[in-house]
Parts: sequence; structure tokens; C-alpha cells
Amino acid sequence: MDRKNILKWLKEPGKMGHKYSLWAVYFCTGCGIIEIPPTITSQWDAERFGVIPVATPRQANLFMITGYVSVKTLKAIIRTYEQMPEPKYTVAFGSCPINGGMYWDSYNTIKHIDKYIPIDGWIAGCMPRPEAIFIGVTKLWMMIDKGAATGYIRYRKNYKFYRRNQEKLFGKLPWPPLYPVDEKENKNG
Amino acid sequence: MDEELKRKIEKIYKDTEVEFPERNRMVVKTKKASTLSILEFLKKEGFRQLKAISCVDWIKEGEFELIYHLAPLNSPLHVMVKIRIERKNAETETILKIFENAKVYEREIYELFGIEFKGNPDLSPLFLENWHDLPPFRKDFDTRKYVKKTFDEIPSVEDRNERT
Repeated sequence: MDRKNILKWLKEPGKMGHKYSLWAVYFCTGCGIIEIPPTITSQWDAERFGVIPVATPRQANLFMITGYVSVKTLKAIIRTYEQMPEPKYTVAFGSCPINGGMYWDSYNTIKHIDKYIPIDGWIAGCMPRPEAIFIGVTKLWMMIDKGAATGYIRYRKNYKFYRRNQEKLFGKLPWPPLYPVDEKENKNG
Repeated sequence: MDEELKRKIEKIYKDTEVEFPERNRMVVKTKKASTLSILEFLKKEGFRQLKAISCVDWIKEGEFELIYHLAPLNSPLHVMVKIRIERKNAETETILKIFENAKVYEREIYELFGIEFKGNPDLSPLFLENWHDLPPFRKDFDTRKYVKKTFDEIPSVEDRNERT
């Protein structure tokens, strides 16, 4: 522990809490999840960085989207993301969620995941090594320190547009909106 | 055993060809009308497991090829029963009465190739969401055009903020 940081932490203790307790929801999409077992077990030990996998989205605040996202999986991702308590951070992992990767012309794979849910950080590569995950986590720490990891705030602010994009793909969604989508209420809230 | 089976099949079904392209592999090419009876015959002969149903789109010949993969439980022989059906108004009889597990395979082929299986009670979508286009595994389905039409048309939320 660095003594110089104590004053900073006393100013904003919440940030320190969020930073060192990134609990990742154990949600597997595509092939990227193959990198997660070595990352969380004793070989690389993600717990050094405060990252542990948890079973339910209600306890998690880090969402790693590992690998290609099919249209059906996106539905589950949106539901999982909306269940997580704030503050929540999302990291797109691998090249497929970024721009489709090798599935760029596939009829059933989402090309740009950030059109449907907000993304705080991207880890490029196919597949990224566990070291890349730790670099991503430390970058996320820096972003939380500076207040730049604002995905959940952007989601609340632009919920109308995110919901519209989701409905363009799925037709009518079977669950009610998370935040009010009426324009008047949106301005107040 | 294999040669004996071949003689038996060709004796009963006149318009059927039986080939052995490689070891432990038997291909039975038959007509659409005799599918059900030949599958029933093979089931009685010990081929009690339906492994899969696969489909090939021969677009130049205007035909779909349906392949029923059968296997016995006590020998390594793998039997493929191949039938051809017309590409226009593609439909065939369901084989639910003989192999009950064909339900999901037929549902999948109906979704991805658009071949209708008459008599299958549940042909609802399995993988696709909100699909209004041609079935995606047909050769005349243009996947790049579909991607441009569907995914590229959706605007980016964050860019919209930067512009305004």
C-alpha cells in the first residue's frame, strides 16, 4: 500500500471500493471464455487484481463479453447487463465483439456490440492472452480513478436510443424498459 | 454382412443404388417416395440410431439433397440414406413415426433451408431471431447484402452524441 494514496482514498473511498472489487459475471459467449479458466485459477490468479467470477449478475459489476455474440446471445447479454447493480463496467474481449472479426459477413453475429449496450473498454486480439486481461483491468482502474468509466451513466442517459437499436434487431422486446423512455421524463431524470 | 444387406435392399427397392465409397460407409441413394419404407426397413435390420439429418443445396440442378445418417449400436457401419427433392416448393414427409429424435433436426432444416416436413407438429424457429428473409443456408441467399441491410443500418449511439 502506498502511503501517498491514503489521502486520495479518504477523499473518495467509494472509488477505491469499486476499483479493487471488480467482480466479473461468469457469462460465457463464444470462444473467448477459454481464456478465463486459466486467468481466474492459480496459474494467473486474477484475484491479485480483485477480479473474481461470481455466479449471478446481481453480485457482479464487471461484464466481460468474451468472443462473438450471436443475435440470440445478445438478448441474454442485455438482460444480464440490465440486472447488474450500478456502478457496472463492461469490457468487450476479443476482436469479434468489436467489429465482427472473422464473422464480419455472417448473418447471425452482432458486428458492433456498442450499438446495443455501452462498452467501457476493449481488449483486441484473437484470442487475447491473460496478460492482456490484466492490462485491461489496470487500464480500467485508471479510468475509474479519473471517472472515465461511465458506461452505465451513458446507458441511463441514452437509454432511448439503445432501446431503439435493440428493438430494430429483435422486433418488440418482451421485457419492459429499464428506464423511462418517454422524452419528457428522460430530460428530468 | 454389408454385401448381404446391399443385395437385400436392391432386391426389395428397385430404384435404389447402394454404394460403398469407403470402409464402413454405405450410401443408399433412393427416391423421395420410398424414404419412409427404406428407413423402416433399415431400422428393423438393426440401424436403430438416427445420428443426424443433413442437407445440401444443389442450386444448379435445382434440387435439395437430404441425407439421413443411421448407425447400428453393435457395428461400425455408417449408413447414409440420400434423397433428392425439388427446390421449388420443397417439402417431404416427416420421419417422426420411425425416429422420434428427428423432430429437432427437421426443425433446424426447415429454419435454415426452408424445406417443409409434412406432419411435424413443431417447426418454430430454433436459432434465428426476428427473421423475415430467405432461409440463410440456401445458396441464393446473399449474406453480405443481409448484413448491410440489417446490422450496418443500425446507427451508433455514441457517434450520435458527438455530432449533436
